[in-house]
Amino acid sequence: MTADKERRRAISREAAKKRRQVESDVFGDLSRLLPVQPSVQANLDKPSIIRLTISYIRMHTLFKVNTGTNAETSHGASKYGRPLGKGEEPQVCDGGWGHAEKEETNMYLSILDGFLMVLSTGGDVIYLSDNVNKYMGLTQTELMGHNIFDFAHPCDLEEIRNNLRLMAEDVWSDAKRDFVMRIKSGLTNRGRSSHLKTATWKVLHCRGRLNVCASPSSASCLLLTCRPLPLSHTLLSTHTFTSQHSMDMRFTYCDQRVTLLLGYSPEELLGRSIYDLCHMLDTNCLTQNHLNLCWKSQSVSSQYRMLVRGGGYVWVESHSAVIPSVRPSKSRRSSHQPLSILCVTYVLSGVEEPSLQLSVDQTVNR
Amino acid sequence: MSVRNTSAGGGDRVGGGEPTEDLLVEENQSSCMSLSSLMTASSVAGSSMSTEMPRKRKGSMDNQDSRSASIPDVDMEDDQNGSDGDDQHVKMKCIREPHSQIEKRRRDKMNHLIDKLSAMIPTCNPLSRKLDKLTVLRMAVQHLKSLKGSSSSFSEAHYKPSFIPNEELKHLVIKAADGFLFVVGCDRGKIVFVSESVMKILNYSRAELIGQSLFDYIHPKDMGKVKEQLSASELYPRERLIDAKTGLQVQADLPVGGARLCSGARRSFFCRMKYNKISVKVEEKEFQASSSKKKESQKYCTVHCTGYMRSWPTSQLGAEGEGEAEKQDSSHFSCLVAVGRVHSHSSPQVNGEVKVKSTEFTTRYTMDGKFTFVDQRATTILGYLPQELLGTSCYEYFHQDDLPHLADRHRKVLRSKEKIETNCYKFKTKYGSFVTLQSQWFGFVNPWTKEVEYIVSTNTVIAQASRSGNKSEQSSNSKTSEEDGKKSLPIIPGISTTPGSMIYAGSIGTQIANELLDFNRMNSSPSSGNVSPFSLPLDKSPQIYNQTSNNVPNGEATDVEMPGKSSSEDEPQGAAFSGGETLMAHLSSGENSQLDLDSVVGPGLSSLSNDEAAMAVIMSLLETDTNLSDAVDFEEMHWSL
Repeated sequence: MTADKERRRAISREAAKKRRQVESDVFGDLSRLLPVQPSVQANLDKPSIIRLTISYIRMHTLFKVNTGTNAETSHGASKYGRPLGKGEEPQVCDGGWGHAEKEETNMYLSILDGFLMVLSTGGDVIYLSDNVNKYMGLTQTELMGHNIFDFAHPCDLEEIRNNLRLMAEDVWSDAKRDFVMRIKSGLTNRGRSSHLKTATWKVLHCRGRLNVCASPSSASCLLLTCRPLPLSHTLLSTHTFTSQHSMDMRFTYCDQRVTLLLGYSPEELLGRSIYDLCHMLDTNCLTQNHLNLCWKSQSVSSQYRMLVRGGGYVWVESHSAVIPSVRPSKSRRSSHQPLSILCVTYVLSGVEEPSLQLSVDQTVNR
Repeated sequence: MSVRNTSAGGGDRVGGGEPTEDLLVEENQSSCMSLSSLMTASSVAGSSMSTEMPRKRKGSMDNQDSRSASIPDVDMEDDQNGSDGDDQHVKMKCIREPHSQIEKRRRDKMNHLIDKLSAMIPTCNPLSRKLDKLTVLRMAVQHLKSLKGSSSSFSEAHYKPSFIPNEELKHLVIKAADGFLFVVGCDRGKIVFVSESVMKILNYSRAELIGQSLFDYIHPKDMGKVKEQLSASELYPRERLIDAKTGLQVQADLPVGGARLCSGARRSFFCRMKYNKISVKVEEKEFQASSSKKKESQKYCTVHCTGYMRSWPTSQLGAEGEGEAEKQDSSHFSCLVAVGRVHSHSSPQVNGEVKVKSTEFTTRYTMDGKFTFVDQRATTILGYLPQELLGTSCYEYFHQDDLPHLADRHRKVLRSKEKIETNCYKFKTKYGSFVTLQSQWFGFVNPWTKEVEYIVSTNTVIAQASRSGNKSEQSSNSKTSEEDGKKSLPIIPGISTTPGSMIYAGSIGTQIANELLDFNRMNSSPSSGNVSPFSLPLDKSPQIYNQTSNNVPNGEATDVEMPGKSSSEDEPQGAAFSGGETLMAHLSSGENSQLDLDSVVGPGLSSLSNDEAAMAVIMSLLETDTNLSDAVDFEEMHWSL
């Protein structure tokens, strides 16, 4: 290798180094402008910085667009793009609650037992509230800016896509969304783990709405509160009963409380299909619930009607999960567990139309 | 200390095209790829880039250049650790890609991100030519500065910097959650606080609600339930936990006692709340406060309330503090902090209902045509109460002329997964007259067993063209229907009419159903002939009607208890779950079947803990057919049975 070549090489290396330095500096500037904790800031890598910047800009656009619509419902000043001090009420005027706004927001999220997710119409995660860490084991800055299709369960992609699309019904139903999806989670029962083999799917119950903006269309987004569905359920009300079903939704066990609530004895229900016990017009709701269970192993139904013995019906809502139906024992390999469905059903209403017998199952004595 | 070990798992390290970064990069990529290999194969190509979680490395920002001196050290470390790491990650061994490929992918991704960024920045957009990376970044800095300039949120020192200001976050949460926050005192249910979003949901303003008793706004029948939830007495029902792993109930006593409530105790219940009807008429607006109060007492919507109990030291409450009576004891004010959400299905209707005579009702039949469910709207149309129809065969009500075509449709619906439309036909009402209906039938298939469980019928009334013509028709119809019982019914293909057996209208249905059972039985392969414990006989009628089995065209000696399994010919998409059923049958019958899941699903699954394994198994089993209509035959997979 000639000395000349060496020299040239050295020069180009230096030039390259300089270029990279400049680039890094710009990245540094950018990262300091991002509204993240300094400790997080220092550790961001370049793609993340860009991702977060994109998110930040997008959120800003969103708010700018929405301040118009929020004006009549909010009495707080929007801090983005609107001049303050126009005689507007101060931000905190809730009768002396102090940091009410922040408290309120935190309350919402902790009560809802979930986190907020804002998705662009293309599936990019524009924003996640920072408590996502608690539920998913991954921080806000790690997840934001990625596309949801990259870490959602492949079988759920189609459903997510459908929810991102505007449907005809949305015109009058306010574009509400309510669905279940699975996301890769870094949490295991041993706490946060990044060991890939133990990365699990977390089943999230997502509810929210599609916020449509005509222009700019980039401000359209899907707002969701996502709640991981718990695997153990706390029964807090007497107006609930639990039941266990085989995978085709026939009862295999039912709690005594069902007698008070629906009039059937638990023995009567064994072997009967839940589809027979419910109002026909709610079949879609039940089917969707059942499908969610088969595919995603957990589900929350929307409201449906269960027929009461002798006549009439009550509105109920069920929270269900697929579980191994035999207590897992060490001697058996875990993969051999037969499966069943565990349901916790909340009874929402009183008995309606008690004299009406709609189904043969209400009348027949078994 | 290894840089590598400080980060957990796969992730993209910042690294340019530096050759010295090779090893580092490769290892990262390889762990990236392990992650992606855990996901489905189809997404491997793209996902190894996109599944990266931006893992931090100390000072990762400038690792490429300014630390050129240190880089070799780092690399050396990593090199060594790489070999150690290899032992650790030997299970995650994957194909090492050519270095150039990795780098190319990284560059592509970075470019993609830069493009996206430039699309976001207003100043970048108008420029048609593609800008270079540095310029885009610089413009981004400018843009952010300008955005920041208009808001003061980041300068507030006492706020922890959050990505978006709280105000906005609150708006988003409210918009997404569609709920309102409320705080009620436990003692009397006094509403201490309610968020402004209640206006949108219940149509009451905050001013109207604050200070009122919650019980004034709750449906009388739900008051007991709500009282119980707010109650702090010892009579409060103990918390019951359902452990999903075992399905067992576990009693857990709430540590209730004394004057203090357990802070953080969750509450969750549904109740019906009043909502204020929006008055449309102009004159009512003036009296809205008083008159609507009377009207609104009839309108309720179901609200799902979730929250937790809090105990506030009264010293904090100040002006908002409750009177002495509200306090549980002298120092604490107990309340429920909750969010109320209305479910979309029970949203209050804006205008009062206008009762329109229904022209549609739904019914459900068993496979052989007997009514098992009749919608209450049928009564106004048909005159029968639902209970009068239940258990009877639909064929008894069909007009004679329509029987052939309806029987044909019946046959079709049992075999097809689609909705079948009937032509217009006449249905006998309670009063003897006929009403013209047109129906849409489809066989309801259980999502798990993939078998038809019953037939759903949506029936629409077709308006009569001319009244007079109808009357004469009806009178002649009623005559012929009387004769029906005596003379034999017209020839319906497939329904045999052997002499000596009375053909009742009802038997048409059962014959059609039996046909299907026989057909399935004949076509079901021996291996799927195992009776799954889960699928019980579809309905009991075959037992009863098999006495007339000589009517059945095939004339086969019927084995009654055989459930009608979907034949593999007819419903190939059923194979996936039927195979699963067989699997379950094997499992629950205790056969010693070694399911070699590892070979099917992927190595490493067996190391998951029990509940995760159960879930993983379900996922894996069901993942293999992403679309239920794919014919996946489980028996093809090499279960070693």
